[in-house]
Amino acid sequence: MSESVATVASENAGAVAWEPRIVALVCNWCTYSGADMAGTSRRGHAANARIVRFLCTGRLDPLFVVKAFENGADAVIASGCHPGDCHYVQGNYLARRRLTVFRSLMEFLGLDPRRLHFAWVSASEGIKWAATVDQVTEVVRALGPVGRWAAPPLEGLEQFALPEPDAEPRASTDTAGLTEQLREAAAALLAEGGASVVLGYAEGSLPGQRVPIFVTEPAEAARLVWDESCAANLTVYLPDAVRRRHGDGKVAIVVKACDAKAVTGFLRENQLVREDVVLVGVACEGVRLEGRLAYKCYECAEGVPAGADVVVGEVAAARATAPDPRDAQIAALEALEPAERWEYWQRQLDRCIRCYACRAVCPLCYCGTCVAEKNQPQWISKAADGPGNTAWNVARAMHLAGRCVGCDECARVCPSEIRLDLLNRRVAQELQTSFGYRAGLDASVPPPLTTFRPDDPGEFL
Amino acid sequence: MILGWRLTDAERREWLERLLGSGRRVVAPTRDGGLLLFRPIASPDEAVLDYGNTRWSPKEHLFPRAEELFSYRLTADEVKLEQRAPDAVEQVLFGLRPCDAAGLARLDSVFLDGAPDASYAERRSRTFTVSLACDSARPECFCTAVGGSPGGTDGSDLQLVHLDGSWLLRALTDKGVQLVETVSALWEQATDEDWAAAKECQRAVEEEIARTPLAAEWAGVLDGAFGHPLWAAVGERCLGCGVCAYVCPSCSCFDVDDNGSAFCGTRCRLWDSCGFASFTKHASGHNPRPDQPSRYRQRVLHKFAYYPLEHGSFMCVGCGRCTVLCPVGLDIQQTVRRVVEEALA
Repeated sequence: MSESVATVASENAGAVAWEPRIVALVCNWCTYSGADMAGTSRRGHAANARIVRFLCTGRLDPLFVVKAFENGADAVIASGCHPGDCHYVQGNYLARRRLTVFRSLMEFLGLDPRRLHFAWVSASEGIKWAATVDQVTEVVRALGPVGRWAAPPLEGLEQFALPEPDAEPRASTDTAGLTEQLREAAAALLAEGGASVVLGYAEGSLPGQRVPIFVTEPAEAARLVWDESCAANLTVYLPDAVRRRHGDGKVAIVVKACDAKAVTGFLRENQLVREDVVLVGVACEGVRLEGRLAYKCYECAEGVPAGADVVVGEVAAARATAPDPRDAQIAALEALEPAERWEYWQRQLDRCIRCYACRAVCPLCYCGTCVAEKNQPQWISKAADGPGNTAWNVARAMHLAGRCVGCDECARVCPSEIRLDLLNRRVAQELQTSFGYRAGLDASVPPPLTTFRPDDPGEFL
Repeated sequence: MILGWRLTDAERREWLERLLGSGRRVVAPTRDGGLLLFRPIASPDEAVLDYGNTRWSPKEHLFPRAEELFSYRLTADEVKLEQRAPDAVEQVLFGLRPCDAAGLARLDSVFLDGAPDASYAERRSRTFTVSLACDSARPECFCTAVGGSPGGTDGSDLQLVHLDGSWLLRALTDKGVQLVETVSALWEQATDEDWAAAKECQRAVEEEIARTPLAAEWAGVLDGAFGHPLWAAVGERCLGCGVCAYVCPSCSCFDVDDNGSAFCGTRCRLWDSCGFASFTKHASGHNPRPDQPSRYRQRVLHKFAYYPLEHGSFMCVGCGRCTVLCPVGLDIQQTVRRVVEEALA
């Protein structure tokens, strides 16, 4: 649709000079009335903003903003009641958290933050509304048109190289002993009725490939393996496996410390009852992808999952860690100009073939029907092109904000090698700096975007 | 008598340069970020010919990931339909592996037999294929199990063989001859010894692949094993993403999607995968393939039972991409062998 709408818009614009097109997403009770106030009190302002009225900014889905840009907006204003004044008590507080994260994500993707303006405007602040519209219009006029909301052509563009770590904090270790212990533990669970199935890793058909296996007989436990190639997060199978085997007995699952965080996520979101599962935690010195230590393992100090029911092996007491290399990579990207960052990400996203492997392997992506499949209305274009891929990847990252446990499965399986882990991590960084939140640690702490504090930061408003 | 030439590397380069200069779009394996993909190239140096295989098949250049069929616009007094003007440029798919070329031959049978698909036919008629015989095998290769070979010519107009630092070029179709007619007179004819050496090299690669062929009659066995309880176990692992179908050189399923409002929008054709739950979901909400094992079974049976029963060849060319890229390592060839073994037992 984007192209057609943009075409219509540009044809309409036709002969006259370019004018900033601004979409204003406003709440019914405060800002819409404030805009009304500006009108009834004959307060003139730039005619560049088209208002879309919502009942509350709490309804404001980041996809609305994406859609506006996709359809040719040069800037978006989102505005609602002042903190404490929400008609629905807390909608604007929730919106503030969501927009904080969304803003940082869009900025990381390379959208100029000046094109995304947030403001609190009350029903009596007609003057403030007029000033806001005037100000954004002038800023956007100076910035110029938003440009192409789609991937740039590939010709002549150098791929920006991200910094790679110099050294790995831990070397490869021999895991043959762990495999033996794991097999014994699994066979014992199955033989003694501790579990009806053990979900673990087995050898795949390609060299070094490790694949999930559902072991139901003690004798089959000999097929289980554990080594540093066991990268997959098996918990993606867990809620469904528990549902299907309900009544047969518990489901045992081999987990690393990182995987176990997804179990915490399931418990918090009521997708699982802890008593239905047996966590078989393995002492992990880190997994390797094509021979190199996975980024997520650098700063992992745990080694053995907290709260495991059965522990296989032990980790060295003094465990070497190093800063996660992604922090330096994110910093390198943030040092670029927004336009260069946009180009970097559009090149990445252009490769997205919309296979949805990222969604399929994500333990926390468990929705029965994904927003990407909804078509009435269709918020995310199904076409594997610039706008569709941008909308999909923004939606994925936002839906996992505060829920993503950083297992990096999405990035591992992406056939297009899109750095989804960087998007997730940038969002996680924002949640930590703004709200002091880290995912996967405590099932009793609610997801950060479903809650708020009246004193949450919001300097950008 | 094989029609073919022996080219030095400089001659091969020069020919590629000439193709680029002829106004044709040359699509060859090249680096896009860290990925090797088929992309239009601007100079002969961009073509990577010393490679295993590309991340996904070149089918997107004939059957795009997303293709606008038409756009519509409602104005005050009319509904305007606009068909996107077909891209009239001739394209050369250069250096594709024999398995990918064979994949195109499979797509041809889907899109061109019977009632031809207009946009595919349009592109196909302007596409030339220059395949590159394999001189080594990767662990996932199994072309020899499904009727292909490292030097297979199915779907190729011309084929290159790398031999001791020079190139053998073999013309296989009239289109292939057309692509070299202005230059072939300058090249040295390849000798019988050259072809014998090429054959020997391919035999060595076949040995390296070391796969027992899947028997043609297994199509019937698999078809009969539709209700076998093993499917539930083999499909249990499948997570329902579309990687296998999207990287596959022979998968051809698509979805038609209207994107827009009542006033303007586009109708697009997009890749689709039988592994998605929405693939067979009815408007009523009923889904005849209600779970992932039944969807995985469909994928396997379409490639190894339904298609071969109708057309004689497997709908799989053995590139092995699905096995490597499957997030949970499902190996389609292994599944076939396992089900057949159980069904015959």
